[in-house]
Amino acid sequence: MNPQELLDEADRLLTTVVPRTRGRWPRACAWLIRLALEKSLDDYWTARLPEAQKCSMRAQLLLLPRYAGTEVAGDARDAWFGLARATHHHAYELAPTAAELRTWHDLVSTISTDLAESVLNARH
Amino acid sequence: MNQTPADVPLLSVETEAANASVEDIIANRLDSSGLPDSASELVLAALLGENELAAAVDGTAEAVPAPTSPEAKPGLAAPELYLQAIVVEGFRGLSTEAALRLQPGPGLTVVAGRNGSGKSSFAEAAELAMTGDNKRWSGDRSAVWREGWRNLHTHGQTRIRAELTADGQPGVIKVVREWPDGARLDDATSYVQAHGQPRQPLTKADWWPQLELFRPFLSYTELGALLNGRPSEMYDAIQAILGLDQLVDAQKRLDIQRKELDTASKVASQNLSGLRTRLAESSDERARRAEGALAGRSWDVEAVESLAVGADDSPESAGGLLSQVTAIELPSPDEIAAAIEGIRQAAQRVAKLADTPAEDARRLAGLLAAALDHQASHPGEACPVCGGRALDTAWAEATRTEITRLQGQAQDAEGTRTELNSAVSTVRGLTGPVPRVLSDDLGSEVDPANARKAWQSWAELAASGTVDQLIAAGANRFAALAESVAELQSGAAVVLARRSEAWQPVAAALASWAQQARSSQRAAEKLKAVKQAIAWLRQAGQEIRDARMAPFTEMSAEVWSMLRQGSNVDLGPIRLVGAATHRKLSLDVTVDGVGGDTALSVMSQGELHALGLALFLPRATAPESPFRFIVIDDPVQAMDPAKVDGLARLLAKVANDRQVIVFTHDDRLPEAIRRLQLPAEIWEVVRREQSVVEITKNEDPVSRYLEDARAVALTKELSEDAKSVVVAGFCRSALEAACQECVRARRIKAGFRHADVEEALRNATTLRMLMALALLNDADRAQDVDTELRKRFGQPAVNALAAVNAGTHGVYQARLTALVNETNRLAAGLRS
Repeated sequence: MNPQELLDEADRLLTTVVPRTRGRWPRACAWLIRLALEKSLDDYWTARLPEAQKCSMRAQLLLLPRYAGTEVAGDARDAWFGLARATHHHAYELAPTAAELRTWHDLVSTISTDLAESVLNARH
Repeated sequence: MNQTPADVPLLSVETEAANASVEDIIANRLDSSGLPDSASELVLAALLGENELAAAVDGTAEAVPAPTSPEAKPGLAAPELYLQAIVVEGFRGLSTEAALRLQPGPGLTVVAGRNGSGKSSFAEAAELAMTGDNKRWSGDRSAVWREGWRNLHTHGQTRIRAELTADGQPGVIKVVREWPDGARLDDATSYVQAHGQPRQPLTKADWWPQLELFRPFLSYTELGALLNGRPSEMYDAIQAILGLDQLVDAQKRLDIQRKELDTASKVASQNLSGLRTRLAESSDERARRAEGALAGRSWDVEAVESLAVGADDSPESAGGLLSQVTAIELPSPDEIAAAIEGIRQAAQRVAKLADTPAEDARRLAGLLAAALDHQASHPGEACPVCGGRALDTAWAEATRTEITRLQGQAQDAEGTRTELNSAVSTVRGLTGPVPRVLSDDLGSEVDPANARKAWQSWAELAASGTVDQLIAAGANRFAALAESVAELQSGAAVVLARRSEAWQPVAAALASWAQQARSSQRAAEKLKAVKQAIAWLRQAGQEIRDARMAPFTEMSAEVWSMLRQGSNVDLGPIRLVGAATHRKLSLDVTVDGVGGDTALSVMSQGELHALGLALFLPRATAPESPFRFIVIDDPVQAMDPAKVDGLARLLAKVANDRQVIVFTHDDRLPEAIRRLQLPAEIWEVVRREQSVVEITKNEDPVSRYLEDARAVALTKELSEDAKSVVVAGFCRSALEAACQECVRARRIKAGFRHADVEEALRNATTLRMLMALALLNDADRAQDVDTELRKRFGQPAVNALAAVNAGTHGVYQARLTALVNETNRLAAGLRS
């Protein structure tokens, strides 16, 4: 699945009632957005720096500003830490809210588009 | 560690004293108080009401009525109420209709939801529906709240509903509040409707009067306000629960009377100087006497009153003398003329009979009568006196006639003389001697000399004048007298009228002041009795209050002891002290043994909230309350983990015989409840975009994640790729949760501090580190995790861990349900 498909699935969970996800969609949604972010980065590194794919996410985020610019890298960092927090079990924390998910969704959509465009521009 | 809710009932507040009515207690105490009747009647009347007290003070009350019987105490009949559901539509964070269903009965329900999820909307809706207290909502809440109470995504009506069940009655009682589209917060319609009954206004509900007393709702803002509120408000709130509001009312009523009487008792003295000025301006000697009556410390009000009506105008005063003058009465000229004519006629008759001496005629008649006697025994004999003529029958006949004539003659002469005498004395009797007032000084304007002289001249004539003089001069002299007296009287009348005109307003002023003085004196007497009543009631009230406060204090202390959890703050007895404007709730709080007013200020927010709960719970769970539920919104916020444990135990304990519904914004309280294995039902509220809210049962997180993973693995709506990442993610979370639970349980049981345990868990940043901490009690031994896992749970466990770790990165493609099952096995092993 490409990032856009994952984001579309996430959007579906966020806005419509999908059977069997009643009440548990927020974390599922978070997982999908997180994966979309990972896929976007993966695709980007494939084109720009294949060896970066093997690095930890932390390392990838440190590399990103030098390749894709500080703006998109900043967005990616914000989205990643939010999503990582939401998708790991943290004591005493309840599932993310719809508003948080919507923010991350928008953020990752932008990142995904920006990174894809950056690859295209580099080719031309 | 005692992990079961204690068997000792926490809420066994003894309230035998509370069952007797305040009136009965006071009446009993009054019997042996030695208070004068006047004061003790006031005490009883003050307990009964404003009108009764007013009547007692005025003295118009009939005998003091017997205290009403205890069963008249309101609200005891209200059945025990539990919450069954809160249904909300278009209110606050909830757009489409959402229902929070509850088990109507004792037990603990926790509703968890992130801030903004709408959980507080349920709490607020329940409270607003039942209390309808717009003032509190619109007054205390921020403008944002007031504007935003209606859900943004809602178009149409807003409707909130609390469904209650009454113990022992079938069906639900619906308490509904609804707003048409566009209505303001204050424009709601509300009603209560019991099963199979018509709708009724809320105020008709049998529990309505109890709501103010026991208010079973506690919001987060209120939690702080319980302690930040004005001391007098806290005093009033607690006092009301103790069933002593009647006492406060009575004290207030007496105090109002005291103020009124105090003012009334001072009216006369306040107006005295004005009256004195007025009197000083008056030249009337009555003003002098009035000044005399008001000179001393105690006024002669009676004298002032008689001066005011003018009844006591003494004869010696100028006014008195003039009045005497005007009171002089003379016979009319006709009477005098008639009397003098009587003299003249009598004198004429006397003159006509002047030659017939009455004595001679009588004597001769006597002689002849004796001769006639003699002749009767010696008929025909010669007269023995002259020896001449024979005294025969003819003589006798003639002699009898002569005797009758002679006797008549004598009578006439005597009669006319008597008539004359009586006519003269009639004239003399028509006037008295010269009145003394004609010799007095009647002031510059009235001279009695002429009248006096005329009277003397007339009096002399009347007393010693001859008959001829009387006839000749009487009429003229009397006319002169009458003329001079009339002149004198008209002069006196003019002066009197002028005096009276000048006095009139002064008299009026005296009269009205005298009235004020009377009522001021009465007020002063009543004031004395009212003051006695107030002093007695204050003392008696404090004793009753302390007695009733005792069980309340005990429970607060118990609540505090459960919540303090190592706090260095001690809570001593809670007392209601002072009265009127100085009344306050006194909290004996000491920090490290140091007390005083500053103690509260050094307490942490969490401690203040705990203290707030210690004040709220005894009130909301009072045995007399018909509300068997309490709704608490977010008590956890500022509490540290140790206090959360205490809170969980406390709530579970209260839930032994109460329905406890707690809303909380994070998972700390549910976690503590699960860890301490306290019986509770936990719900999680999740809000979708467009304010659609879903409520799901919140089990322990491990089962929850596994359940989620299984559900997603089975769903057909998601693509395989999406499913695999989500399922692996949930499985991973389940393992994380299982590790954390395992670590937490082990370390807290071993006596570690909560904060240190949480620190260690936070530092284990990867799943492998967490596994190391759980399996090997050391987060740094992540490299040994696989070996340990293989040893304890076999190779599939190692594979599962690898799968969930990799799966989040989209690599794992094995059968998802198998992964869930393996994770389940591993998690169960970790937790056992």
